[in-house]
Amino acid sequence: MAELHLTDEILMAFADGELDESVAAAVAQVMAQDPSVARRIVDFQQSRRLSRSAFESSLSSKVPIELQAAISARIEAHEGVNSAGKVDLHEVRRTRLIRSFPLMRMALAACLAGIAVATGYFFGRQVDREASQIAQLEDPLIRRELSRLESGRDLELPMGRFRVISSYQLANGALCREFELKSASRSAGAVACRANEWNVTFAVSNPAKSADYTPSSGGDLMDSYLQNLGAGQPLEEKAEARALAEFMP
Amino acid sequence: MPTPIGRELVALLPRLRRFALVLCRSQPLADDLVQGACERALVNANSWTPGTRFDAWMFRIIRNHWIDHLRRMKTEGIMEDVALQTQLIGDPGEEPILSRLVLAEVQQAIDSLPQEQKEVLALVCGEDLTYREAAEVLNIPVGTVMSRLARARKRLVELTAAA
Repeated sequence: MAELHLTDEILMAFADGELDESVAAAVAQVMAQDPSVARRIVDFQQSRRLSRSAFESSLSSKVPIELQAAISARIEAHEGVNSAGKVDLHEVRRTRLIRSFPLMRMALAACLAGIAVATGYFFGRQVDREASQIAQLEDPLIRRELSRLESGRDLELPMGRFRVISSYQLANGALCREFELKSASRSAGAVACRANEWNVTFAVSNPAKSADYTPSSGGDLMDSYLQNLGAGQPLEEKAEARALAEFMP
Repeated sequence: MPTPIGRELVALLPRLRRFALVLCRSQPLADDLVQGACERALVNANSWTPGTRFDAWMFRIIRNHWIDHLRRMKTEGIMEDVALQTQLIGDPGEEPILSRLVLAEVQQAIDSLPQEQKEVLALVCGEDLTYREAAEVLNIPVGTVMSRLARARKRLVELTAAA
Protein backbone atom coordinates (compact mmCIF):
# COMPACT_ATOMS: atom_id res chain seq x y z
CA MET A 1 0.00 0.00 0.00
CA ALA A 2 1.24 3.51 -0.73
CA GLU A 3 2.38 5.43 2.32
CA LEU A 4 2.05 9.14 2.44
CA HIS A 5 4.75 11.36 3.90
CA LEU A 6 2.76 13.60 6.19
CA THR A 7 4.45 16.91 6.73
CA ASP A 8 3.17 19.29 9.40
CA GLU A 9 1.83 21.49 6.62
CA ILE A 10 -0.25 18.69 5.13
CA LEU A 11 -1.68 17.64 8.50
CA MET A 12 -2.42 21.25 9.37
CA ALA A 13 -4.14 21.81 6.02
CA PHE A 14 -6.16 18.67 6.71
CA ALA A 15 -7.19 19.97 10.14
CA ASP A 16 -8.15 23.30 8.55
CA GLY A 17 -10.11 21.70 5.72
CA GLU A 18 -7.75 23.15 3.12
CA LEU A 19 -6.82 19.95 1.29
CA ASP A 20 -8.63 18.73 -1.75
CA GLU A 21 -10.72 15.64 -1.36
CA SER A 22 -8.36 12.99 -2.70
CA VAL A 23 -5.38 14.08 -0.60
CA ALA A 24 -7.66 14.50 2.42
CA ALA A 25 -8.98 10.98 1.90
CA ALA A 26 -5.42 9.63 1.84
CA VAL A 27 -4.56 11.50 5.03
CA ALA A 28 -7.73 10.23 6.69
CA GLN A 29 -6.72 6.70 5.80
CA VAL A 30 -3.30 7.03 7.39
CA MET A 31 -4.82 8.77 10.38
CA ALA A 32 -7.17 5.87 10.94
CA GLN A 33 -4.19 3.55 11.26
CA ASP A 34 -1.75 5.71 13.12
CA PRO A 35 -2.66 7.35 16.43
CA SER A 36 0.41 9.57 16.34
CA VAL A 37 -0.85 11.16 13.12
CA ALA A 38 -4.28 11.61 14.69
CA ARG A 39 -2.62 13.25 17.68
CA ARG A 40 -0.76 15.73 15.47
CA ILE A 41 -4.01 16.64 13.69
CA VAL A 42 -5.81 17.11 16.98
CA ASP A 43 -2.98 19.40 18.10
CA PHE A 44 -3.49 21.55 15.02
CA GLN A 45 -7.21 21.77 15.74
CA GLN A 46 -6.47 22.66 19.32
CA SER A 47 -3.96 25.37 18.41
CA ARG A 48 -6.51 26.95 16.10
CA ARG A 49 -9.18 26.96 18.77
CA LEU A 50 -6.82 28.35 21.39
CA SER A 51 -5.41 31.12 19.26
CA ARG A 52 -8.82 32.08 18.02
CA SER A 53 -10.08 32.40 21.60
CA ALA A 54 -7.04 34.46 22.52
CA PHE A 55 -7.56 36.85 19.60
CA GLU A 56 -11.28 37.11 20.29
CA SER A 57 -10.82 37.94 23.92
CA SER A 58 -8.26 40.66 23.46
CA LEU A 59 -9.21 44.14 24.52
CA SER A 60 -8.75 45.40 20.98
CA SER A 61 -12.17 44.13 19.94
CA LYS A 62 -13.77 46.96 21.94
CA VAL A 63 -13.79 49.96 19.64
CA PRO A 64 -13.36 53.26 21.50
CA ILE A 65 -16.14 55.78 20.89
CA GLU A 66 -13.63 58.35 19.61
CA LEU A 67 -12.36 56.02 16.91
CA GLN A 68 -15.87 54.99 15.94
CA ALA A 69 -16.90 58.66 15.71
CA ALA A 70 -13.83 59.57 13.64
CA ILE A 71 -14.46 56.75 11.18
CA SER A 72 -18.16 57.59 10.95
CA ALA A 73 -17.23 61.19 10.12
CA ARG A 74 -14.91 60.01 7.35
CA ILE A 75 -17.59 57.72 5.97
CA GLU A 76 -20.09 60.54 6.01
CA ALA A 77 -17.65 62.80 4.21
CA HIS A 78 -17.07 60.20 1.51
CA GLU A 79 -20.46 58.62 1.16
CA GLY A 80 -22.76 61.32 2.48
CA VAL A 81 -24.55 59.01 4.87
CA ASN A 82 -24.15 58.28 8.51
CA SER A 83 -23.45 54.59 8.62
CA ALA A 84 -22.35 54.38 12.18
CA GLY A 85 -24.57 53.13 14.93
CA LYS A 86 -26.92 51.37 12.56
CA VAL A 87 -24.89 48.26 12.21
CA ASP A 88 -24.82 45.43 14.64
CA LEU A 89 -21.12 44.91 15.20
CA HIS A 90 -21.68 41.21 15.34
CA GLU A 91 -23.62 41.16 12.09
CA VAL A 92 -20.64 40.64 9.86
CA ARG A 93 -19.00 37.83 11.72
CA ARG A 94 -17.28 34.77 10.48
CA THR A 95 -18.10 34.30 6.85
CA ARG A 96 -16.42 30.99 6.94
CA LEU A 97 -16.32 28.86 10.02
CA ILE A 98 -13.75 26.15 10.26
CA ARG A 99 -14.64 23.70 7.54
CA SER A 100 -15.17 20.33 9.01
CA PHE A 101 -14.51 17.05 7.33
CA PRO A 102 -16.94 14.20 7.92
CA LEU A 103 -14.06 12.12 6.63
CA MET A 104 -11.84 13.25 9.47
CA ARG A 105 -14.41 12.37 12.10
CA MET A 106 -14.78 8.91 10.60
CA ALA A 107 -11.05 8.45 10.56
CA LEU A 108 -10.74 9.59 14.16
CA ALA A 109 -13.33 7.06 15.27
CA ALA A 110 -11.60 4.32 13.35
CA CYS A 111 -8.29 5.40 14.80
CA LEU A 112 -9.46 5.19 18.37
CA ALA A 113 -10.82 1.75 17.66
CA GLY A 114 -7.60 0.62 16.04
CA ILE A 115 -4.91 1.84 18.40
CA ALA A 116 -3.81 -1.63 19.43
CA VAL A 117 -3.27 -2.68 15.83
CA ALA A 118 -1.52 0.48 14.83
CA THR A 119 1.07 0.36 17.58
CA GLY A 120 2.10 -3.18 16.68
CA TYR A 121 5.73 -4.08 16.13
CA PHE A 122 5.36 -4.79 12.46
CA PHE A 123 3.70 -1.48 11.78
CA GLY A 124 6.42 0.33 13.70
CA ARG A 125 9.11 -1.27 11.58
CA GLN A 126 7.29 -0.34 8.40
CA VAL A 127 7.10 3.26 9.54
CA ASP A 128 10.81 3.25 10.45
CA ARG A 129 11.81 2.05 7.00
CA GLU A 130 9.59 4.58 5.34
CA ALA A 131 10.83 7.39 7.56
CA SER A 132 14.46 6.65 6.82
CA GLN A 133 13.84 6.70 3.10
CA ILE A 134 11.87 9.93 3.38
CA ALA A 135 14.79 11.46 5.32
CA GLN A 136 17.11 10.49 2.47
CA LEU A 137 15.05 12.55 0.06
CA GLU A 138 16.57 15.69 1.54
CA ASP A 139 20.12 14.37 1.47
CA PRO A 140 22.65 17.00 0.29
CA LEU A 141 23.48 14.80 -2.72
CA ILE A 142 19.87 14.78 -3.82
CA ARG A 143 19.54 18.50 -3.21
CA ARG A 144 22.62 19.09 -5.37
CA GLU A 145 21.27 16.95 -8.21
CA LEU A 146 17.88 18.63 -8.02
CA SER A 147 19.66 21.85 -8.93
CA ARG A 148 21.27 20.44 -12.06
CA LEU A 149 19.93 17.14 -13.36
CA GLU A 150 17.52 17.60 -16.24
CA SER A 151 14.15 15.87 -16.23
CA GLY A 152 14.07 12.35 -17.61
CA ARG A 153 17.66 11.59 -16.54
CA ASP A 154 18.71 8.83 -14.12
CA LEU A 155 21.62 8.83 -11.71
CA GLU A 156 22.98 6.16 -9.39
CA LEU A 157 23.47 7.59 -5.89
CA PRO A 158 24.61 5.79 -2.71
CA MET A 159 21.03 5.74 -1.43
CA GLY A 160 19.48 4.47 -4.65
CA ARG A 161 18.63 5.30 -8.22
CA PHE A 162 17.58 8.92 -8.52
CA ARG A 163 15.47 10.22 -11.38
CA VAL A 164 13.94 13.63 -11.98
CA ILE A 165 10.57 13.29 -13.65
CA SER A 166 9.50 16.86 -14.35
CA SER A 167 9.82 20.49 -13.30
CA TYR A 168 7.08 23.03 -12.61
CA GLN A 169 7.06 26.71 -12.07
CA LEU A 170 4.32 27.81 -9.66
CA ALA A 171 2.34 31.02 -10.01
CA ASN A 172 4.57 32.65 -7.39
CA GLY A 173 7.67 31.78 -9.41
CA ALA A 174 8.84 28.93 -7.14
CA LEU A 175 10.50 26.05 -8.94
CA CYS A 176 9.29 22.59 -7.95
CA ARG A 177 10.52 19.22 -9.23
CA GLU A 178 8.95 15.80 -9.11
CA PHE A 179 11.47 13.00 -8.66
CA GLU A 180 11.91 9.34 -7.70
CA LEU A 181 14.35 7.48 -5.51
CA LYS A 182 14.45 3.70 -5.80
CA SER A 183 16.46 1.55 -3.44
CA ALA A 184 16.51 -2.24 -3.22
CA SER A 185 13.69 -2.31 -0.70
CA ARG A 186 11.65 0.84 -1.30
CA SER A 187 10.64 3.28 -3.96
CA ALA A 188 9.65 6.88 -3.26
CA GLY A 189 8.09 9.55 -5.41
CA ALA A 190 8.44 13.10 -4.15
CA VAL A 191 8.07 16.77 -4.94
CA ALA A 192 10.67 19.28 -3.79
CA CYS A 193 10.37 23.04 -4.12
CA ARG A 194 13.21 25.46 -3.90
CA ALA A 195 13.27 28.52 -1.67
CA ASN A 196 16.81 28.96 -0.37
CA GLU A 197 17.38 25.26 -0.75
CA TRP A 198 15.39 22.27 -1.92
CA ASN A 199 12.73 21.15 0.52
CA VAL A 200 10.62 18.05 0.04
CA THR A 201 7.00 19.16 0.22
CA PHE A 202 5.36 15.86 -0.62
CA ALA A 203 6.45 12.22 -0.75
CA VAL A 204 4.84 8.85 -1.29
CA SER A 205 6.83 5.78 -0.38
CA ASN A 206 6.12 2.20 -1.51
CA PRO A 207 7.84 -1.13 -0.98
CA ALA A 208 9.97 -1.88 -4.05
CA LYS A 209 8.28 -3.97 -6.71
CA SER A 210 9.56 -6.39 -9.28
CA ALA A 211 10.39 -5.36 -12.83
CA ASP A 212 6.81 -5.82 -13.99
CA TYR A 213 5.67 -3.38 -11.33
CA THR A 214 2.75 -1.17 -12.25
CA PRO A 215 2.23 2.18 -10.52
CA SER A 216 -0.10 2.04 -7.52
CA SER A 217 -2.33 4.71 -6.09
CA GLY A 218 0.83 6.73 -5.33
CA GLY A 219 0.61 8.20 -8.85
CA ASP A 220 -2.91 9.48 -8.25
CA LEU A 221 -1.82 11.08 -5.00
CA MET A 222 1.08 12.76 -6.75
CA ASP A 223 -1.23 14.09 -9.47
CA SER A 224 -3.64 15.41 -6.85
CA TYR A 225 -0.84 17.03 -4.96
CA LEU A 226 0.58 18.72 -8.04
CA GLN A 227 -2.87 19.88 -9.01
CA ASN A 228 -3.38 21.20 -5.49
CA LEU A 229 -0.15 23.10 -5.78
CA GLY A 230 -1.34 24.77 -8.99
CA ALA A 231 1.65 23.27 -10.79
CA GLY A 232 0.08 23.38 -14.28
CA GLN A 233 2.04 21.92 -17.19
CA PRO A 234 5.62 20.65 -16.73
CA LEU A 235 8.31 22.99 -18.02
CA GLU A 236 9.72 22.30 -21.48
CA GLU A 237 13.39 21.43 -21.77
CA LYS A 238 14.62 24.97 -22.46
CA ALA A 239 12.38 26.60 -19.88
CA GLU A 240 13.59 24.06 -17.32
CA ALA A 241 17.23 24.80 -18.12
CA ARG A 242 16.55 28.52 -17.74
CA ALA A 243 14.74 28.03 -14.44
CA LEU A 244 17.52 25.85 -13.08
CA ALA A 245 20.16 28.38 -14.14
CA GLU A 246 18.25 31.18 -12.42
CA PHE A 247 18.30 29.23 -9.20
CA MET A 248 22.03 28.62 -9.24
CA PRO A 249 23.47 30.04 -6.04
CA MET B 1 -20.19 57.18 -7.52
CA PRO B 2 -17.87 55.15 -5.28
CA THR B 3 -18.98 51.77 -3.98
CA PRO B 4 -20.54 52.39 -0.54
CA ILE B 5 -18.46 50.50 1.97
CA GLY B 6 -19.33 52.43 5.13
CA ARG B 7 -21.57 49.79 6.66
CA GLU B 8 -19.06 47.00 6.18
CA LEU B 9 -16.29 49.22 7.44
CA VAL B 10 -18.06 50.00 10.71
CA ALA B 11 -18.96 46.35 11.22
CA LEU B 12 -15.37 45.35 10.61
CA LEU B 13 -13.82 47.85 13.04
CA PRO B 14 -13.28 45.46 15.97
CA ARG B 15 -11.47 42.98 13.76
CA LEU B 16 -9.45 45.69 12.06
CA ARG B 17 -8.26 46.94 15.45
CA ARG B 18 -7.40 43.44 16.51
CA PHE B 19 -5.28 42.86 13.43
CA ALA B 20 -3.73 46.33 13.72
CA LEU B 21 -2.70 45.46 17.25
CA VAL B 22 -1.02 42.28 16.03
CA LEU B 23 0.92 44.41 13.57
CA CYS B 24 2.02 47.29 15.76
CA ARG B 25 1.58 46.09 19.35
CA SER B 26 0.46 49.48 20.58
CA GLN B 27 -3.14 50.44 21.21
CA PRO B 28 -2.89 54.15 20.27
CA LEU B 29 -0.84 53.31 17.19
CA ALA B 30 -3.32 50.58 16.25
CA ASP B 31 -6.17 53.09 16.36
CA ASP B 32 -4.25 55.53 14.15
CA LEU B 33 -3.51 52.68 11.79
CA VAL B 34 -7.17 51.70 11.58
CA GLN B 35 -8.20 55.27 10.96
CA GLY B 36 -5.61 55.73 8.24
CA ALA B 37 -6.54 52.46 6.58
CA CYS B 38 -10.25 53.34 6.65
CA GLU B 39 -9.48 56.66 5.00
CA ARG B 40 -7.50 54.89 2.31
CA ALA B 41 -10.27 52.37 1.79
CA LEU B 42 -12.90 55.10 1.43
CA VAL B 43 -10.80 56.96 -1.12
CA ASN B 44 -10.17 53.75 -3.07
CA ALA B 45 -13.56 52.15 -2.51
CA ASN B 46 -13.87 51.42 -6.22
CA SER B 47 -10.95 49.04 -6.13
CA TRP B 48 -12.91 46.63 -3.95
CA THR B 49 -14.95 44.20 -6.04
CA PRO B 50 -18.37 43.59 -4.47
CA GLY B 51 -18.87 39.88 -3.97
CA THR B 52 -15.27 39.32 -2.91
CA ARG B 53 -14.21 39.25 0.72
CA PHE B 54 -14.28 42.73 2.14
CA ASP B 55 -12.37 41.75 5.28
CA ALA B 56 -9.41 40.34 3.32
CA TRP B 57 -9.32 43.51 1.20
CA MET B 58 -9.24 45.66 4.35
CA PHE B 59 -6.59 43.54 6.04
CA ARG B 60 -4.39 44.04 3.02
CA ILE B 61 -4.91 47.79 3.12
CA ILE B 62 -4.17 47.97 6.80
CA ARG B 63 -1.01 45.94 6.43
CA ASN B 64 0.23 48.00 3.49
CA HIS B 65 -0.54 51.12 5.48
CA TRP B 66 1.50 49.75 8.36
CA ILE B 67 4.46 48.96 6.11
CA ASP B 68 4.34 52.48 4.68
CA HIS B 69 4.20 53.86 8.18
CA LEU B 70 7.24 51.82 9.21
CA ARG B 71 9.15 53.04 6.19
CA ARG B 72 8.33 56.66 6.91
CA MET B 73 8.67 56.74 10.66
CA LYS B 74 11.02 53.89 11.48
CA THR B 75 8.99 53.35 14.60
CA GLU B 76 10.22 49.91 15.57
CA GLY B 77 12.17 51.36 18.48
CA ILE B 78 9.30 53.24 20.08
CA MET B 79 6.61 50.61 20.19
CA GLU B 80 5.03 50.19 23.56
CA ASP B 81 4.67 46.89 25.23
CA VAL B 82 1.17 45.74 24.54
CA ALA B 83 1.20 43.51 27.59
CA LEU B 84 0.95 46.62 29.73
CA GLN B 85 -2.16 47.78 27.96
CA THR B 86 -3.99 44.63 27.08
CA GLN B 87 -6.17 43.09 29.66
CA LEU B 88 -7.97 39.91 28.98
CA ILE B 89 -11.69 39.92 29.14
CA GLY B 90 -12.70 36.31 28.72
CA ASP B 91 -15.92 35.79 26.79
CA PRO B 92 -17.77 33.07 28.64
CA GLY B 93 -20.30 32.72 25.82
CA GLU B 94 -17.68 31.94 23.21
CA GLU B 95 -15.40 29.38 24.84
CA PRO B 96 -16.73 28.30 28.20
CA ILE B 97 -14.04 25.67 28.61
CA LEU B 98 -11.11 28.04 28.50
CA SER B 99 -10.29 29.76 31.72
CA ARG B 100 -8.87 33.27 31.83
CA LEU B 101 -5.65 31.75 33.01
CA VAL B 102 -5.35 29.55 29.95
CA LEU B 103 -6.23 32.44 27.68
CA ALA B 104 -3.55 34.56 29.30
CA GLU B 105 -1.09 31.77 28.74
CA VAL B 106 -2.04 31.44 25.08
CA GLN B 107 -1.88 35.20 24.64
CA GLN B 108 1.59 35.20 26.10
CA ALA B 109 2.64 32.36 23.83
CA ILE B 110 1.30 34.23 20.79
CA ASP B 111 3.17 37.35 21.85
CA SER B 112 6.39 35.38 21.98
CA LEU B 113 6.11 34.25 18.35
CA PRO B 114 8.07 35.96 15.58
CA GLN B 115 6.07 38.79 14.01
CA GLU B 116 5.77 37.03 10.63
CA GLN B 117 4.21 33.97 12.30
CA LYS B 118 1.90 36.08 14.42
CA GLU B 119 0.46 37.83 11.37
CA VAL B 120 -0.35 34.58 9.62
CA LEU B 121 -1.84 33.13 12.79
CA ALA B 122 -4.03 36.21 13.28
CA LEU B 123 -5.34 36.09 9.71
CA VAL B 124 -5.99 32.35 9.46
CA CYS B 125 -6.90 31.33 13.01
CA GLY B 126 -8.12 34.68 14.31
CA GLU B 127 -9.91 35.95 11.21
CA ASP B 128 -10.71 32.72 9.36
CA LEU B 129 -9.04 33.65 6.11
CA THR B 130 -8.05 30.76 3.87
CA TYR B 131 -4.34 30.15 3.25
CA ARG B 132 -4.70 31.69 -0.19
CA GLU B 133 -6.49 34.77 1.13
CA ALA B 134 -3.85 35.25 3.82
CA ALA B 135 -1.14 34.88 1.18
CA GLU B 136 -2.75 37.67 -0.82
CA VAL B 137 -3.03 39.95 2.20
CA LEU B 138 0.61 39.40 3.13
CA ASN B 139 1.86 39.25 -0.44
CA ILE B 140 3.72 35.98 0.11
CA PRO B 141 3.38 32.49 -1.47
CA VAL B 142 0.78 30.09 -0.06
CA GLY B 143 3.59 27.67 0.83
CA THR B 144 5.18 30.32 3.02
CA VAL B 145 1.84 30.95 4.75
CA MET B 146 1.61 27.24 5.47
CA SER B 147 5.11 26.81 6.80
CA ARG B 148 4.89 29.90 9.03
CA LEU B 149 1.47 28.87 10.29
CA ALA B 150 2.50 25.30 11.02
CA ARG B 151 5.57 26.47 12.92
CA ALA B 152 3.52 28.97 14.92
CA ARG B 153 0.90 26.42 15.85
CA LYS B 154 3.39 23.73 16.83
CA ARG B 155 5.11 26.26 19.03
CA LEU B 156 1.79 27.28 20.61
CA VAL B 157 1.01 23.67 21.42
CA GLU B 158 4.44 23.26 23.00
CA LEU B 159 4.13 26.44 25.02
CA THR B 160 0.63 25.70 26.23
CA ALA B 161 0.98 21.97 26.66
CA ALA B 162 -1.05 22.10 29.84
CA ALA B 163 -3.97 23.93 28.23
